[in-house]
Amino acid sequence: MAKSSDDSFKVATGEAVGVIAAQSIGEPGTQMVLRSFHTAGISSVVTTTGLPRILEIVDARKRPKFPVMEVKPIKSIEKNYEKVRGIWRKIEEVKMSSLIRDFKEDLKTGTLLLNLDKEKMSLYEVTAGTVASKLSKNESLTVSVEESDVIKVKFKGKTTAQTRTTFVNTINANILGVKGIIKANINQNEDGTFVIKTSGSNLEEVMEIDGVDKWNIYSNDMFEVLKFYGIEAARNLIANELQEVIKEEGFSISFRHISLVADAMTYTGTIRSIGRHGVAGDKESVFARAAYEETIKHFTNASVFGEEDKLKGVSENILIGKQIGLGTGMIKLAIKKEDLARIKKKEAKE
Amino acid sequence: MHAEAIESIRFTMISPDTIKRMSIAKLIVPDTYNEDGYPIDGGLVDQRLGVIDPGLKCKTCGGRVKTCPGHFGHLELVRPVIHPEYAKTIYLLLQSTCQQCHRLLLTDTQVGDMKSAIKVFVGKEDEAEGATIDLTSLAAANTTRDKEILIKKLKSVKKCPYCQAAQRKLKLERPTSFYIEGSRMKADEIRDWLARVPDNDLKLIGIDPVATRPEWFVLTTLLVPPVNVRPSITLESGERSEDDLTHKLVDIMRINQRLEQDIDAGAPQIIIDDLWELLQYHVTSYFNNETPGVPVARHRSTRPLKTLAQRLKGKEGRLRYYLSGKRVNFSARTVVSADANISINEVGVPTRLAENLTVPVYVTLWNIEEAKKLLQRTEYPVIINVITKEGLRKRVTEVTREELLKGIEPGQVLERQLIDGDIALFNRQPTLHRMSIMAHKVRVLPGKTLRINASATTPYNADFDGDEMNLHVPQSLEAQAEARYLMQPKDQLLSPRHGGPIMFAEEDEIIGAFFLTKDDAYFNKDDATEMLAGVGVYELPKPEKNGVYSGKAIFSMILPEGFNFEGKTLDGAEVSIKDGKLLKGIVDERLVGNGGGTLLLKIFEDIGSDAAVDFLSRLTKMTLIVSVKKGITISVKDYYMPDNVEKERVAIVKDVEAKAGALIEKYKQKKLDPLPGYTRRETLEIIVMAQLEEARHMAQKLLSKSIDLDNRAYLMAKLKARGTILNLVMTSVFLGQQSIRGKRPSRGYNRRVLPYFRRGDPNPSAKGFIKSSFSDGLSPTEFYMHAMGARDSSMTKSLVTAVSGYLQRRLINAMQDFYADKNGAVKDASGALIQTIYGGDGIDPIRERVMKDKAKS
Repeated sequence: MAKSSDDSFKVATGEAVGVIAAQSIGEPGTQMVLRSFHTAGISSVVTTTGLPRILEIVDARKRPKFPVMEVKPIKSIEKNYEKVRGIWRKIEEVKMSSLIRDFKEDLKTGTLLLNLDKEKMSLYEVTAGTVASKLSKNESLTVSVEESDVIKVKFKGKTTAQTRTTFVNTINANILGVKGIIKANINQNEDGTFVIKTSGSNLEEVMEIDGVDKWNIYSNDMFEVLKFYGIEAARNLIANELQEVIKEEGFSISFRHISLVADAMTYTGTIRSIGRHGVAGDKESVFARAAYEETIKHFTNASVFGEEDKLKGVSENILIGKQIGLGTGMIKLAIKKEDLARIKKKEAKE
Repeated sequence: MHAEAIESIRFTMISPDTIKRMSIAKLIVPDTYNEDGYPIDGGLVDQRLGVIDPGLKCKTCGGRVKTCPGHFGHLELVRPVIHPEYAKTIYLLLQSTCQQCHRLLLTDTQVGDMKSAIKVFVGKEDEAEGATIDLTSLAAANTTRDKEILIKKLKSVKKCPYCQAAQRKLKLERPTSFYIEGSRMKADEIRDWLARVPDNDLKLIGIDPVATRPEWFVLTTLLVPPVNVRPSITLESGERSEDDLTHKLVDIMRINQRLEQDIDAGAPQIIIDDLWELLQYHVTSYFNNETPGVPVARHRSTRPLKTLAQRLKGKEGRLRYYLSGKRVNFSARTVVSADANISINEVGVPTRLAENLTVPVYVTLWNIEEAKKLLQRTEYPVIINVITKEGLRKRVTEVTREELLKGIEPGQVLERQLIDGDIALFNRQPTLHRMSIMAHKVRVLPGKTLRINASATTPYNADFDGDEMNLHVPQSLEAQAEARYLMQPKDQLLSPRHGGPIMFAEEDEIIGAFFLTKDDAYFNKDDATEMLAGVGVYELPKPEKNGVYSGKAIFSMILPEGFNFEGKTLDGAEVSIKDGKLLKGIVDERLVGNGGGTLLLKIFEDIGSDAAVDFLSRLTKMTLIVSVKKGITISVKDYYMPDNVEKERVAIVKDVEAKAGALIEKYKQKKLDPLPGYTRRETLEIIVMAQLEEARHMAQKLLSKSIDLDNRAYLMAKLKARGTILNLVMTSVFLGQQSIRGKRPSRGYNRRVLPYFRRGDPNPSAKGFIKSSFSDGLSPTEFYMHAMGARDSSMTKSLVTAVSGYLQRRLINAMQDFYADKNGAVKDASGALIQTIYGGDGIDPIRERVMKDKAKS
């Protein structure tokens, strides 16, 4: 039986693993769809898929177009639907606008009448009182409960435009849940445990909610993960996300290629994009950078700081016409000094 | 001639003194040729700068066109001018130095902090301790970003810590105008300022004053490139047309001369300033004619001039086109076509190419006799050239042969025509992965096309509808060895992407394999003999009782001896091979095709790459013979569907129409919950679209139910040999929903796609649902819808290639220097550690699957 320690399965010394990884990911790219969104079933969350998602990751965009989270409850309550539902209620954001049937505004007197939707109110288990107290956190507003389903907000701005903006903000105000979580669903796994899948991501607040297993939250926002869980977590996230997208497109790519891309993006301790403002633009060699993009910029900067190109990489050596130092080009022949002397002596005789 | 290998290249700014030292002539005349068409002395094509006319001699080195390397000249600018590419750097330097005493705006404590910072970064204590420290090491250690942070800090200093002078507001107006408190700074003032920044202060911000003094960013002398860098061309009319650079230099010199005259004549300051400004413009566009904020300098024909920056930049620039892009000899390119009779490891080379491509034969003491014999030959293969010890290439003709034969000696190289068995690299663009270039053994064949085995097309992504491919003949022995031992298709059978096979049986071969190995396949002796002899097997298996031979037995003859295999077919039926005999099951796409090639992989794992390639070559050949004998034909009949299909089709259409209608109704009643991130309307569209696309799946299920393998089109699709069930659905049931950017067609006229519908028509066919099939023919509206969908998909396809091509370039550029070192760690060119062990375990991706499979058994 073969073991993984078996030498015949190891990579060859000097193998250009980076190029192989790049080709392995780039080659199927030609066959991928450019369509960006994807609906897996009707009630589930929306994410970006295909080539656009790969670009999003590889470009290290500050925020994915469709951020999502997967929140797991702590072990003791993971099978308790009611408790999980309790967490869910704290996560999904409910805005004022989704609790009202309609509203009336009077910009002259600066009053806003909110007619609450009783059905929705009972669904989210809130009363007019709690809503009003939430709203009155904004100190410039005077909030009063008129009836069990009517709330009156008073605000006097300097201009009607200002009043108007304030009212719009009031209607969009956060009443329940975590800011930025547009939607959350409770899904049951085969083993009976529950997870909450969300559209929108806000690790900072969600990880602090009681009952949430903060060591098992998943978010597809790499910078958020970097901020709260560190670079290794971000690296794993990048690798996982890439793997998922590629798998969904129906291609099989060995995980080592994907992990190499993730490591290339993160080994410095921060997330760098693949491209001129990231990994490729930070290279040591002036020539490698100049031959890639922004030629003039790299040459002039190099001259200001007196940079030296040590000609070690692939690009530089191709440029100057030397053999590259990877793969079979890495192997050099050496001759013992005494042998060389002997040969030279012999040649001299002839 | 012996040349030392370049070890490193250092970039510095060129100083005015160096320019003068390099220059062979100071140029003073802003013109090129005189009336007689003779180069003017001191002009821009001064003969001391080199020669471009054949027949003329260089006045500096005496060389002719081919031998004179060209010599630099220079010109002196009457007034200094800002180098446009360094304007930003100048701005930063002005901001970080005192306006009074020109010291760096850093206190001694801050400098001390920096020194200790270097200690941490570089770890070179002695350097940090010394009075003048080489801050270039800080620059190298902590890159541009830290310098930027430092400079940002310097910018905010309001008062000089040394002379206490208040710092006034500086402004850079792109591209080259500087203002201090709103008043314009002249280039000579800037130059003086920069010249007074002390060397030690420069070191602190990473500038090495020996390499680059900041005052050099303001130009006083201009280096003029040799004429062979900017050759003029003579038009048919005998008129000379100068290079863009020469034009620009003439402009610069003209203005420079006028400026000089005006200054000498004591012209008013305004006029001088205007000319100075004009000089600045010409110098700016001489360096970079795409400088933002500067009008583009144009040729008489309104074509923008290509100046220095344009020569270097971009895909067609010096770097990417001429330096990274290497060109080669010993190569050929022509159309490819298929040949089932050559191995996957071979390439068929047409005689005409073989006669012109050569392989070097190195004459040594030990092969001199063979070499002589070769040289004597007058018929293919002959020696085309003899390369003498001096490196001269002499053509072998009837006249010269005798003489060359006499002169033959070790150390010479003979260039022999290509023959069978030589190694050649074969390539098809786009070269997306390493299997796009593989080494094949040459088989010289009659005909005019390059030929490959159809199974070798997948890695190249080639087909034979007119594809052309390139052939390269490696010349050095090292290159040949590398090609032979690492690059042959047999060495590339498994993809490093996923560790599975990338060459397998295709199309007709899959069909042949099916007819060969299905349970009721029997062949008479003649057929069996033909099939086996075709693949070089000259014995028959044991016949059945009635004298016929079972297909499984015939197939078993090409299996390696003692080979065992357990696997599954596409439909999950078991396949069993024991001791080299196929006992049970059908050999189909999952075993030998693109569906995994499990059988191929097993042979590779158990026996080796040669056996796997041999098996594949024989399998393809044998199955093709079967295909000829028992192959299939499709006809229009295969696309006539049984009656129930028509009925079901109407039902499916009605069903999805009803579902879509219901959804629209639900939407109108505002009962449809929006998907996160979408409006209600968008949500409706997405769901309706999904619903309508479902119709195709329903039709596919319907077909699978209604027709059987006697339908040859269905058989092909089912075997995954050619075509899909969706193709059949579209030809015989209906085309289904057309899409534009993943949505239903929605634009065209006011609230309707085509004017043949009512506005807001809820019927799916008003938004691109096609109820007809290709065999029915499309209605006029359906035809339009289909054309829109087709247009969209062809547009997206070309867009995807552009996007993914760029992605590939970026990925490769980012990771091309990564290699696995001898301990299995991944490092880059600068020595940075990317992974402590490649992929977490140091396993080669090619052998990953093999390893896992072996561990299982």
